[in-house]
Amino acid sequence: CTNEDYERLNVDPKNPSSVPGSFLFTNGTKSLFDQMGSTSVNRNVFRLFAQQWTECQYVTETNYDIRNRSIPSFHWNEVYSNVLYDLQQAKISVQEDINLLDGEKANQSSIITIMEVYAWQQLVDTFGDIPYTEALQGPDNTVAAYDDAATIYEDLLTRITEAYNNFDTGSAGLENDFIYDGDITKWQKLAASVKFKLAMRLADVNPSLSQQHANEAIGWGLIGSNSENLTLPYETNPTNAHPLYADLVQSGRNDFVPANTFVDYLNDLEDPRRTVFFDDNKTPYIGGVYGDFNTYTEFTHIGDVYYEPDLPGDLMDYSEISFLLAEAAERGGYNVNATAEEYYNQGITASMEYWGLSSGDISAYLAKPDVNYATASGTWKEKIGKQFWIAMYNRGFEAWNVWRKYDAPALRLPASTGNPVPLRFTYPVREYRLNEANVSAAASAIGGDAQQTPIFWDVN
Amino acid sequence: QEKAVSGTVTDTGGMPLPGANVIIKGTSTGTQTDFDGNFTINVSEGEILQISYIGMKTAEVTVGASSTLSIQLEEDAQNLEEVVVTALGIKREKKSLGYASQEVSGEKLAQVPVANMSDALTGTVAGLNITQSGTMGGSTNIVLRGVSSLVGNNQALIVIDGTPINNETFNQTNIGSGTGAYDYGNGLSDVNPNDIEDVNVLKGAAATALYGSRGMNGVIMITTKRGKSSEKIGVEFNSAITVGNVNKKTLPKYQNEYGGGYDGGSFYSGDIDGDGVVENNIVYTYDDASFGNRFDPNKLVYNWDSQYPQLPGYLQPTPFVAGASTPNDIWGTSTTYVNSVAFNGGSEKGNYRLSYTNFLQEGALRNNNITRNTIDFSADYNLTEKLNVFGNITYTNTRGKGRVLTGYDSRNPMQGFRQWWNMSVDMQKQKEAYELTGQNVTWNLKDWINQEVGYTDNYYFNRDHNYQTDRRNRYFGNFGLNYEINDWMSVLGRFTFDTFNELREERVAMGSSAGQGRSSHGGAGEYYFMTHTVSEYNYDLILNIDKDLNDDLNLNANVGWNLRANSRYGNDARTNGGLKIPGLYSITNTANPLTEEDINDFNIRKKVDGFFAQANLGFRRMLYVGGSIRTDRSSALPSDNNRYWYPSGSLSFVFSELLDSRETINFGKFRFNYARVGNDTDPYQLINTYVLNAKLGNSYNATAPATSNNPNLKSETMQEIEAGLEMNFFNNRLSFDVSVYNRKTFDLITNTDISGSSGFTGLWVNSGDIENKGIETRVTVVPIQTEDFRWEMTANWSKNENKVTKIFGDSEYLEMGSMWNVSVGAKLGESAGTIRGTDFQYINGQRVVGSDGKYLISESSQEVIGDANPDWIGGLNNSFTYKNFNLSFLIDIKHGGDVYSQDMAFGLATGLYPETAGLNELGIPKRDPVADNGGVILKGVKEDGSANDIRADFSTYENPYGYYGAPEAMHVYDASYIKLRNLSLSYRMPKDIFGEDSVINNMTLSFIGRNLWIIHKNLPYSDPEAGMSAGNVQGFQNGAHPTFREIGASVKIEF
Repeated sequence: CTNEDYERLNVDPKNPSSVPGSFLFTNGTKSLFDQMGSTSVNRNVFRLFAQQWTECQYVTETNYDIRNRSIPSFHWNEVYSNVLYDLQQAKISVQEDINLLDGEKANQSSIITIMEVYAWQQLVDTFGDIPYTEALQGPDNTVAAYDDAATIYEDLLTRITEAYNNFDTGSAGLENDFIYDGDITKWQKLAASVKFKLAMRLADVNPSLSQQHANEAIGWGLIGSNSENLTLPYETNPTNAHPLYADLVQSGRNDFVPANTFVDYLNDLEDPRRTVFFDDNKTPYIGGVYGDFNTYTEFTHIGDVYYEPDLPGDLMDYSEISFLLAEAAERGGYNVNATAEEYYNQGITASMEYWGLSSGDISAYLAKPDVNYATASGTWKEKIGKQFWIAMYNRGFEAWNVWRKYDAPALRLPASTGNPVPLRFTYPVREYRLNEANVSAAASAIGGDAQQTPIFWDVN
Repeated sequence: QEKAVSGTVTDTGGMPLPGANVIIKGTSTGTQTDFDGNFTINVSEGEILQISYIGMKTAEVTVGASSTLSIQLEEDAQNLEEVVVTALGIKREKKSLGYASQEVSGEKLAQVPVANMSDALTGTVAGLNITQSGTMGGSTNIVLRGVSSLVGNNQALIVIDGTPINNETFNQTNIGSGTGAYDYGNGLSDVNPNDIEDVNVLKGAAATALYGSRGMNGVIMITTKRGKSSEKIGVEFNSAITVGNVNKKTLPKYQNEYGGGYDGGSFYSGDIDGDGVVENNIVYTYDDASFGNRFDPNKLVYNWDSQYPQLPGYLQPTPFVAGASTPNDIWGTSTTYVNSVAFNGGSEKGNYRLSYTNFLQEGALRNNNITRNTIDFSADYNLTEKLNVFGNITYTNTRGKGRVLTGYDSRNPMQGFRQWWNMSVDMQKQKEAYELTGQNVTWNLKDWINQEVGYTDNYYFNRDHNYQTDRRNRYFGNFGLNYEINDWMSVLGRFTFDTFNELREERVAMGSSAGQGRSSHGGAGEYYFMTHTVSEYNYDLILNIDKDLNDDLNLNANVGWNLRANSRYGNDARTNGGLKIPGLYSITNTANPLTEEDINDFNIRKKVDGFFAQANLGFRRMLYVGGSIRTDRSSALPSDNNRYWYPSGSLSFVFSELLDSRETINFGKFRFNYARVGNDTDPYQLINTYVLNAKLGNSYNATAPATSNNPNLKSETMQEIEAGLEMNFFNNRLSFDVSVYNRKTFDLITNTDISGSSGFTGLWVNSGDIENKGIETRVTVVPIQTEDFRWEMTANWSKNENKVTKIFGDSEYLEMGSMWNVSVGAKLGESAGTIRGTDFQYINGQRVVGSDGKYLISESSQEVIGDANPDWIGGLNNSFTYKNFNLSFLIDIKHGGDVYSQDMAFGLATGLYPETAGLNELGIPKRDPVADNGGVILKGVKEDGSANDIRADFSTYENPYGYYGAPEAMHVYDASYIKLRNLSLSYRMPKDIFGEDSVINNMTLSFIGRNLWIIHKNLPYSDPEAGMSAGNVQGFQNGAHPTFREIGASVKIEF
C-alpha cells in the first residue's frame, strides 16, 4: 500500500467532510430554538427563573441551584458549539459555494448573521462577559479569553447593521427557507428588530447609543405583525417536535405546573389567556407554590397546546417588539410614532391574537381598569413589565429579561430556600476545569461570578 | 522382546517425583510417574528411557535385563530451563529474558470455572489490576502497570496462539461515565479457560515491543493445549457446576421507619373510592424516595396496591408499614455449568486437538442467561522433515439474554434499589401483582386517578418484557507454515484472523416507563438493534535464527514483517417515538417514520504495516544481550507523518553461573531493559466530518461534531526502563522476582474535553505526557516439604505511581470523564485518576458547618476530593498438597484508591439507608423538627471555630448527608478491600484405583469457591471493585451490582 492508499483508507466513507451552508444553518437555527424552548431541567430553567412554572418533586432548580445539574455548562456548550459554530461554518460554506450567485451569498450571509447576533446577545444576557473575539476557533484556541459584555454589544450592533445593509432584495435567499419562505423583506424586518432589541437593552446604561441604533432600526421597519414573527415550524414527527413535547409528553414525567406567582397575577386580571396557558383541571386556577414541593394533581396543569408536538417555536414576535416600543415611547428620545399606551395595547393584542383569542375577549380585557394603561396602577415599568412578562409566557428567557430590566412584576422568593431571584447564570463549572485563568479573570472583571452580579445593562 | 519394566523416580535426596515423564527415546510412547514416583512401561531391552522432570536434568537409562529400575534425577542448578512463549509466539528460555513476565498454568486457571478468563487471573499476577463490572457476562478491565493512556486503550493485548484478539466491549453511550448502557462484556469472554495450556503475562514495553503499539499496555499471551504424540487418542472430559449467592455485604441496608416522600411527608387527599368523602390517607406513590411519613401499623392507608382496579386489594386500605420484602429479596441463585470434552492425538508427523465446550449460565436475576458453545481445533503436521504446517481455529457461538445494564439508567434495577426507592414497597406484593395481571403494575404510579407509570417499572414486568438479546458468531485462529531452512534458521509465514458478527437487540415494551430506552417514546415502547461485523487480519512473515556461534556464544534473532487490517462495519437503528403493535420488536414497527437521527451507518477501517528485527546474543548461558527495532506505518495518522520507529534493548545476567557452589543460591538473574514503543490512533480522527440530522420541512440539516478531529496528530510514544532480579534459594524452597520500572508516555493521543467556547466540547489531540513508576514483586516460599506434604505460598505485591507531566498547549486540565459535576482527570503533576468536586470547608482541619448546621461547601467545585488509583495491590496464594489432595486459596488485596459513590450521594438524600433514620444523640428521631430536638449535630466546628452545636434539619431530602445538602467529598470512599478470592480443594485419584487395564488415566475432583469472603472493605453496601465497565474512567459507582459468592464442584477425567 502506498501512503496515498492509506490516506484514502482513512476517509470516513459514511459521513461528509463538507456540506452546503444551508444544512448547517438549519441545525444552528433549530438548535437555538430547541435550547430556548426546552424546559428540561438539564438544559433550560428560564421558565422557572421567570416564575411562570414551578417544579413538583425536585425543587433544586426553582430554588436557583443550577450547578447541581450543570445547567450553565449545558447552555453554554449548546449555544457555542451547536448554534454559533454551525452558523459560522454555514457562512464559510456559503462563501465557498460555487453554485451560489453573489446576491444569494450576500443574502444567505446576512440571514446567518442575524441568527448569530441573536445567539450572541442571548449568551451575553445570560452570563455577562463571555469569550467572543477568541471564541469558535476550534483546536486553534481551546482557552479563549473573555470579552467585555458591553463591547460585545457594540460589535453586535455593527454586525447586525452590516447584515441589514448587505441584503440584496433582487436576489434569492435560502432555498427551502423554513422561517420566512424566501421573503427577504421579512428577514430585513427581523434584522431591524434584532437591532432594536439590542439597542433597547442599552437604554439605561448607554442612552445615546441606544437611541442611535433604535432609531435607525425603527427607520428600517420592525416586525409589524404576528406573520413576521421569528418562529420555527415544529413537526408532528417526534424528532422535529417542539422540545416541550419531549419534556412534557415523551418524558412521561409530571415535573412542572404553572407557578402561583404567574397564576395569581392572571387570576387577578381574569386574563382570558388562562384558557390557553393553563389546563382547566382545577377550578379556580391554582398555581403550584413557587419553589416548594408540589403535588401534581393538586394544582392547575399546563395548557394542552404546550403538549402538542407541532407547537411553533418562537424567538421574537410582534408582541415583544410592541412592548419595547412602548418602553421607547415612555423614555423619550426615540423616533416612535405612537404613544406608549398604543404600543402597550398593541403588545397585549398581538399576544392574545397569537394564542387565538377572540377580538371580543381582547377588547374586553383591554378595557379592564387593571389592564387599561391609563387606569392600571404602578409606574410605566410596572405596567409594561407585567403585561410584557405575561406575553412572554412561552418565552421564559425573555420573561426573565423583562423582570431584570423593569424590576417588575414583583416575583416571590422560592418557598424552600428563600434564595433571591438570579440576575445571571454563574459561569459553567466546566470552564473552571478547562479554562480556569480566563474564567477567573472574567469573574473578577464583572464583580464576582455570582448569581446576584447584574449584567452590565441591568443598572436600575 | 517387549517386557514390562517398572521403576521409581526420585531426586538425589530420595524424594519421589510424581508426574515425571518417562518416554521411550525416539518414540512417542511414554507414561508418567504416580504420586509415589512409580511407573510401569512396556519396553524392549536395549531401548532407552528418557526421564524428565521440571527443574531436574533429564536422565537416560538403557533398559537391560532387569525389570526394575531406580532412577535418581539430579537437580538442574540452572533450574529455569523453562521455555516460555514470548512476543509473536517466539519461544525463549525464560532465563534469557531481559524483562518481566509471569506465567500462570492453565490448570490453575481452569480450577475455578469462570465466565471470563480474566476473572481467573485476578490477584495472581503482580502488577495486573483487574476490575469487573460485577454483572452477568459483564466486562472486565485489565490493566498492567497503571494507566498510561488517558483516553486511548489501556487494556492489555490478548494474544491466543499468536492471534491477537479483539477485547473491545463495543458498549454504547457513556457507560464509563455512569450513564447507563448494557454491558456486553469484552471479547476475552469468548476464550474457553479449559482449552488453555498456560498464560504468560508480558508486562513491560521491552517484552512486547514486537507487537508494536498494541502491546504497549502489556500482553497476555495465551497458549492453548495441543495434541500430544501418543499411540492412542487422548480424551479429556471436564465438567463443572457452580452456584452463586449474593454477598449481602454488597447489598444496601434499608431503614424501615419511614415511607415514600421527599419533603417529610404528607398523604395525598382525594375521593379515591368515589363515595363523596375525601380520603386523606392515600400514599403519594409518585415520590421515589423515602423521606415521607413515619410508618404506623395502626394507620390504614391506600398504598399502591389499593390504587389499581385490577388488583384484589383495590380500595382496601392496609396498615402503613415498611415492605416485608425489600429489593434485596429479588436475588436468586446463579448457576454456571461448564462441560467440555477434548480429543487429542498425534504421531511424530504431527498432532491434533479438538475440543467442544458448552457453557451455560443462569444469572441471579429473572430472564438472565448466557449460552456459549465453543469448538476449538488445532493441528500441526510435518509435511516434510523441514516443512511444518499448522492451524488453529476456534468457533464460538454466544447467546445472551437479559444482560444487565450498568450505570444510571432505569433499566438497571440497582439505580432504583440504591438511589430512588420507597420503603413501603413490598417486593413480594409487586411480584404477585405482576403475576396476576401480566401488566406493569408498579408501586411508582403517578397518581391513583389513571395509574400511569412514574419513573420505575414493576421490577418483574421489567425483567420479563424489557430485555435485550444478543447473538455472536466468532471465528479466530491462524494458519501458517514453518520451514526449516537449516538447523539454525527457519522461516514462518502466518495468517491470523479474528472476526465476528453480532446482533444486539433491545426491547422496551409498551406501557413501560418513558425513561426506558434510547429514545423519547413517552411509554410507547422501543426497539433497537445494532449489527456489526468486526474483523482483524494479521499477516506475518518471520525469519528465525537460533545458532550457536561457538561454544560460548548463541545467537537468537528474528526479522519480520507484519500487516494488520482492522475493520468494523454495520449499522444500528431504533424506532421513533414508540411502537405501533405491542410486543412486536421489529424496526418496521415504528410509530413514526425513522429519521436520520434514528439510524446510524458505520464503516471503520485501518491498516498498519511494520518491519521488525530483533537479536539476542547469549554468552555461556549466562549473559544475554538483546535488541530490537521496529517501524510501523499507520493509515490512521497523517499520510506525511505516518511512520514511527522504536527500539528496545535488554540484558539478562544469570550471575548464579559464577557461583562456586549453588547450595544456597540455586539461581540468580539480573535483568535490565529499555524500550520505546510507538502508537497510533483510531481511524478518522484527522478531518472533521459532519453529522447528517433529520431534515426540517424541506430543509436538509447537518451539524459539526461535538468533538473536533485534528489533522496534526502524530504518533504517541511510550518509553520504559525496567530492572529486575530473580533468585532462588534453598533447593528452590524460596524464590523471588522483583521488577522496578519507569514508564513515560509522550504525546498521548487523547480525546480531551475543551472549553465549549471553542465551538467544540472535545478535541483529539496529542495532549500530554504521563509517567508511571512502580515496583512488582513475587515471592514464593515452600515452608514445609515432606514426603507426603507440601505447603507452597506465593505472594505478589505491586505499587504504581502515576503522574501527568505535561498537558498540551495552554490547557491546564486533562479530563478523563465526569459524572454530573464530579470529574476524574488530572492537572499537571497529579495522578491521572484524580477525582474533583466540591469539598468541605475546613478550619484547622475541622469541617465547618454553616448557620443551618450543614457543612459549608467549598467555593470552588474543583477541589481534589480523591484519587482512583490504588496505593498498592497484592495477592497471597497458599497451596497445600497432601498425597493426592490439594488445597489452595487466594487472598487478594487492594489498598487505597477512592471511589465516588453516586449511589450513596442519592440514596442518603432519598432516605433509603439506615443512616437517614433512627435517633439522634438526644434519643429523639433525627427526622423530627429541629424545634423538637430532632435533626443532627454534625461533627465539626462553626464558622467562628468553636465546636459545632447547631442542629441541622434532617426532615427532607435536603438533609446534610445527601447530594443536595453535602459537598461531593462526602460521598468519596476508600475503595480498599481484602478478599478471599478463590479456594479450591482437589483430589487426584491414584492411578491404581482404576487398575492397570482401566481406560481412565487420571481423574481429578475439585471443590471450588470464588469470591467467598470480603474480609475487609470501607465502602458501605457495595463491593468497591464493582465498576461500571471496562474503560478508563474508573473511580465512579452508579447503580453498582452486588457481588456473588460462587461455590461449585468439578470433575476432570483423562482417558
